Amino acid sequence: MTDGRGRRLTRWLAGAALALGVLAPLAGSPYSSRHAVIDVASLARSVAREEDHVTALELAQWIKDRRPGLRVLDLRSPEEYTAYHVPRAEHLSLDSLATTTFRADETIVLYSEGGPHAAQAWVFLRALGYQRVFFLRGGLYEWLEQVMNPTLGDTTPAARAAFAHAAELSRYFGGVPRSDLRAMPADDAIPLPRAGSSGGSAVPLPSKRTVSRVLQIRRRGC
Amino acid sequence: MTAPYFELGYFGTRGALVAALVIGIAFGWCLESAGMGSARKLAAQFYLTDLTVFKVMFSAIVTTMLGLFWLGRLGVLDLSRVYVPETFLLPQLVGGLVFGIGFALGGLCPGTSCVAAVTGRLDGVALVLGMWSGVLATGLAFPSLRAFYERTPRGTLTLPQVFHVPYGVVVLLLVIVALAGFRGAEWIEARATSRSDEPPLPNASREATRPVAGGIGV
Repeated sequence: MTDGRGRRLTRWLAGAALALGVLAPLAGSPYSSRHAVIDVASLARSVAREEDHVTALELAQWIKDRRPGLRVLDLRSPEEYTAYHVPRAEHLSLDSLATTTFRADETIVLYSEGGPHAAQAWVFLRALGYQRVFFLRGGLYEWLEQVMNPTLGDTTPAARAAFAHAAELSRYFGGVPRSDLRAMPADDAIPLPRAGSSGGSAVPLPSKRTVSRVLQIRRRGC
Repeated sequence: MTAPYFELGYFGTRGALVAALVIGIAFGWCLESAGMGSARKLAAQFYLTDLTVFKVMFSAIVTTMLGLFWLGRLGVLDLSRVYVPETFLLPQLVGGLVFGIGFALGGLCPGTSCVAAVTGRLDGVALVLGMWSGVLATGLAFPSLRAFYERTPRGTLTLPQVFHVPYGVVVLLLVIVALAGFRGAEWIEARATSRSDEPPLPNASREATRPVAGGIGV
């Protein structure tokens, strides 16, 4: 490269950089507006195959196993999250979903108080292109009922085996499994998870009022 | 097909590793082409006699910035999926000081030390060994360092967020700063050359172009 050509190239590159820089303020934002595209057929297939959700016990097992890339997102209000949340869950509002980015290798589990908000958020994230997204089927209610306070439904061997598994997970998270239905406590005497036995993590335990409210709603058949 | 390809799942970890290897080799080649495998050249930066490092780094910054901005604007790249490291003010300030002291003492930074080592320079080999020892020691001591490591968190910050100005304005300002910096760097180098007894380089213009070309490659 001769001296003249080198100098000309440097000037040309400087000019190109300046031109692109001058045009930049006029070009607007470089961030895409994140308009999502919904593949209805794909979403319907996922729902039909029940690949859209996890049960509370499956989620508990994933958390206990420290599944790589697992992110549990609590979509309730910050106050509700502070009062109690699933161990290792992060708080995220529905509004923030569109602007939050997740890695492709992350497994995202969404939950709200019941199921609807989390299911809606599942649709949003799938529309944004994320594939490994699930919602907690029955929301925090299901978590409190099946993980924190599992109850032996009947005395068949299958039910006993399922209860034993749930009880083991429940104890890991500081829950109180109950195998004696006759000894079921009144609402104001519901046993709370034991402090300091929440799987080794500093997790706020549910208040007596929260547990009571969940069980009352369950008994109404919702 | 929108970038970043790995984030959007177009290729898996294996594909990403192959791409990283190719890009890493190209990165090293560009650094060496710009003359940044030599500790003497890098140390000259601190004596204000050779500002090659400044030119290479600013060329790389401006090229990357313009590339990201315009690729994002044209819809080729989803900029919201590009990883931006979180800011932790105090630990990063201390880390920057350690980095700067190491750079001034050794004459090489992590990337250039790898280039120097691969080209057979013994100082480069020593620095790479030191770097790996430091990485290992930090990893082992991390449980006790963690509290400091996570102090003064500020989240993910970018210049447009901090100064509340549009992204495009930041791009223009940085281009102007870079071009002014180049002009200033050449003036400083010319003054240093005229003061020294050494004759000017026989192919000064070509030498001036190499850092820019290398920086664009970086």
